Amino acid sequence: MNAIVIEAASRSKIRRRLSELNVPLLFLLTAIAGAGVLALYSVSDGSWTPYAMPHGIRYALALVILVGIGITPLKFWLSVAYPAYFATLGLLLLVPLIGDVNMGAKRWIALPGLQLQPSEIMKVALVLALARYYHGLEFKRVNTIMGLITPLAMIAVPVGLVFLQPDLGTAILLGLSGFVMLLLAGLSWRLTVLGIIGAVGGAVFGLQSGLIKAYQWGRITAFLNPEADPLGANYHPNQSKIAIGSGGVDGKGYMEGTQSQLDFLPEMHTDFIFTILGEEFGLYGALVLLGLYIGVFFTALQIAMSAKSHFGRLLSMGIAVTFVSYVLINTGMVMGLAPVVGVPLPLVSYGGTVMLAMMGGFGLVMSAWIYRNQDTLRTSGFGG
Amino acid sequence: MRVEPFDTSRHMEFTRRATLVTTGTMGLFGGIAWRLYDLQVRRHEDFRALADDNQFNTRLIVPLRGEIYDRYGRIVANNVPDFRVLVIPERTDDIKKTLTQLGSVMELSDRQITDVLDKARRQRSFLPILVADKLDWETYARVNFHSPDMRGVVSEIGASRAYAEDAGAAFVVGYVGSATTDDIERARRDAPTEEAAEKVELLYRQPGYKVGKAGLERTLDDQLQGEPGSVKVQVNAHGRVISEYKDSIVASTQGEPVGLTIDKELQATALKVLADDYGEYPDEALGPHPVSASAVVLDIVTGDVIVMASTPAFDPNRFSRGIEAKHWRELNESPLKPLLNKPVAGTYPPGSTFKLLTAIAAQEMGIPATKKHFCNGTFRFGGRDFTCWKKEGHGWLDMKESIKHSCDIYYWNLATEVDIDKIAEVAKRFGLGQTYDLGIGAEADGIVPSRSWKRAYYRNDPPNQTWFPGETLSVAIGQGAVTASPLQLAVMSARIATHKDVTPRLVRAVGSNLIPQPAFSELPGQPAHMSVVRDGMNAVVNEWGTAARSSLQPDFLMAGKTGTSQVVGLRRDPVTGRRLKNEEIPWQFRDHALFVAFAPYENPRYACSVVVEHGGSGSRAAGPRARDIMRAVLEKDPSNYDKHQFWSGKPTEPVEVAELSGGRRR
Repeated sequence: MNAIVIEAASRSKIRRRLSELNVPLLFLLTAIAGAGVLALYSVSDGSWTPYAMPHGIRYALALVILVGIGITPLKFWLSVAYPAYFATLGLLLLVPLIGDVNMGAKRWIALPGLQLQPSEIMKVALVLALARYYHGLEFKRVNTIMGLITPLAMIAVPVGLVFLQPDLGTAILLGLSGFVMLLLAGLSWRLTVLGIIGAVGGAVFGLQSGLIKAYQWGRITAFLNPEADPLGANYHPNQSKIAIGSGGVDGKGYMEGTQSQLDFLPEMHTDFIFTILGEEFGLYGALVLLGLYIGVFFTALQIAMSAKSHFGRLLSMGIAVTFVSYVLINTGMVMGLAPVVGVPLPLVSYGGTVMLAMMGGFGLVMSAWIYRNQDTLRTSGFGG
Repeated sequence: MRVEPFDTSRHMEFTRRATLVTTGTMGLFGGIAWRLYDLQVRRHEDFRALADDNQFNTRLIVPLRGEIYDRYGRIVANNVPDFRVLVIPERTDDIKKTLTQLGSVMELSDRQITDVLDKARRQRSFLPILVADKLDWETYARVNFHSPDMRGVVSEIGASRAYAEDAGAAFVVGYVGSATTDDIERARRDAPTEEAAEKVELLYRQPGYKVGKAGLERTLDDQLQGEPGSVKVQVNAHGRVISEYKDSIVASTQGEPVGLTIDKELQATALKVLADDYGEYPDEALGPHPVSASAVVLDIVTGDVIVMASTPAFDPNRFSRGIEAKHWRELNESPLKPLLNKPVAGTYPPGSTFKLLTAIAAQEMGIPATKKHFCNGTFRFGGRDFTCWKKEGHGWLDMKESIKHSCDIYYWNLATEVDIDKIAEVAKRFGLGQTYDLGIGAEADGIVPSRSWKRAYYRNDPPNQTWFPGETLSVAIGQGAVTASPLQLAVMSARIATHKDVTPRLVRAVGSNLIPQPAFSELPGQPAHMSVVRDGMNAVVNEWGTAARSSLQPDFLMAGKTGTSQVVGLRRDPVTGRRLKNEEIPWQFRDHALFVAFAPYENPRYACSVVVEHGGSGSRAAGPRARDIMRAVLEKDPSNYDKHQFWSGKPTEPVEVAELSGGRRR
């Protein structure tokens, strides 16, 4: 009898929580994934296979996961933040041991029916762990040495591991997310400047010592001089600039993009997917997509602002920044503003792990929204 | 629940920082949006042009080759639809399976299959590979019917060069073939600009494109080739044609037609006559074989070469489609030399036909034609006895009778008085020892011996040889070093007939322009000297001379001269020492048979020469053939402008050939 009551109560609780879901966020994410399906359908010459259909199905599954994570109490996520971080770190460590080699880099772990890219999951796990850390840290201790060592180590270890895979793009994004988390937590401007100098110094050192490989450096610098090496490092950015530029204001029409449809851009379905949208839907289409991303950012910002817990705030904002940093680097990359570093356009590029990680991340944001009024959570652990 | 005392301050700081991060992010989004504006609005035109450069290309449309007509506008060489089957490797998963399927529909040799597989390995997979061409309609229709079931098989209609079988045109028009690296390099060198060079190379590399390889096809290649057209095509990043823009087509211009002076019908007649068995001696060692002979008929007034026949010949159609090695070897190794254009490239000792020139030279040296010499069958010179072809001797002969009977001793007598350099000068004046640039190449000079010739010829071993009077004896009767081609002999005959510098020509018209008829000028020397020679030539045929059996009386009066030239020295039986007859020795040692003629005697219009290699005797092998050829010529009278419709330089019937198709969108 009692059990039935509890069960009924919990069922109604689930229903209540479902009704509290942030609908605009779900709508925006679904719209972005829809744009992805549209683009992937066009990439494969008007065919649901091999990309468009799996993309849609994956999104639907990821949406279920998002909702699942979202209705789980934020308190639970706070408690599993560190274990999740260490578990992901463990996966990252596994990559060099059992990972699949793809284009000269070990980034993947092959699971039955799924290729997992732990570095993408790490982006969410890092934000989660840093939010957890700062949640429990007294504000006055943020800029102390003792208060800085732990988060810097938490950032440095995965960044280093990913960099060694080697996956420069993800490493940079990971570092950037961590850095923004520190900033949001209240890192002093003096330390911020020092940090930037340190990062530049680290990059120079990496180059000098050969830690950054020649092809990586070639890609990094190529975008600064688009005329050089048009068939090599600059082939992709040049052709994608031509594609986007030739699209004009209103585009060439769906499935009519000459650059995309005539194979001038290979591997369209991953990092250069923005090109096909820019070519076929023009400036209008590209701005609509950017608008959707901005909408997601502001929704997450609003959630962060309405969260009563520091954990929820940092988490929402961190996920939002990570999300748009993908967008900014990817679109900058395909338009010749940023080096080609292998960053996908989230929810649009074909790829399971990124979608899973990002949707999982937004699940956490959703949880921060639904449990926004739980202002005081247990604060202990690292922050004491 | 415990209130966090420190939350307020960090919340305020977070709000500030979040605002800051948001501002920064929006700034970056602004940058992205500006870049989009920059690319898609400000620089849109530039990128549009670059995208067009990427996707549009110009594809050449191969022009049809100009047709070649005979003097009446009948086709000698034209373009015919060529039914062919191609395989495009990228359109099939298993090319071997495709070929097996194809093999069940049409005949495919193992060789063809290995060739296709070999090519498929070497070239890019979207380029079509020719499996078979020159298919008959039924096979083509069958393949066409089944091709939807065979992945990668394409059947199409192209154009290929065809030569009229009855024209015997191989040596005159030559043949075409695929451009070699040398052809491409030569064409590039000749191109005025780099752009033109690129274009011509592209054209030459088109599958199925042919260039002139020999004969007029080669000499007049520039006029025959035509101008390629172009069509705008959309290509993908790999250069594959995705689609064509039909409204952008610039049509190709067919090459200019060429009109020959040849009369196709008479040419065919001549070839038949030459190949016919005119009481030829059989030769067991060689087995039955076609006669190796040639004939030339000239229009004396215009210089038109009406007949230029060489037998045996080859089929230029087999060359234009790419000759097989075996067939080539056969042609190359045959003792009958079917690859040699004998009328211009074959040189033979002219034998007694040369006596005409000796007679003219003698008159120019001041020896009267009425001077008589006695022939008793033997002529003693330098301690040696020379025998006339008639052992019993001819008795007393003047010049006319010496020509009529072709007496050797008369000319040996002349040779003692006539200088060799004079003979050489006359021979050259009357057309020997020179080429006429007919445009078919391969013309041989022949040899007109003289003192300077001998010095030049033996400049090394030993040097500076002098001319011996005994050598003049040989030359005077057309033996020894002297050689001439049938064309030169025909020119000689024409010049004797008219005493004008008749020059042969093969082309009447190029494009829509008729080439103006040349006006021939009087030769230096006395026209009066000709009359006794012509008289003698008339006597040869019509007054029971050596070629009495070649008379065309009562229909026509033809003047001629026989010639029988030795290939090797006198042939005697090793046991009895008896002089052997031609039929008793192997074919390749027998005498060449020659005949030169012009007709009608009173008002010469046609000159003719016939050479039958190892034919035995001029009067038996060459004369009758010349007679039959000349009869056909005289009866038809191909130079009669009132009687015949001449070709005006405009093509008659254009041949419709489907445009060569490239890869299209599937």
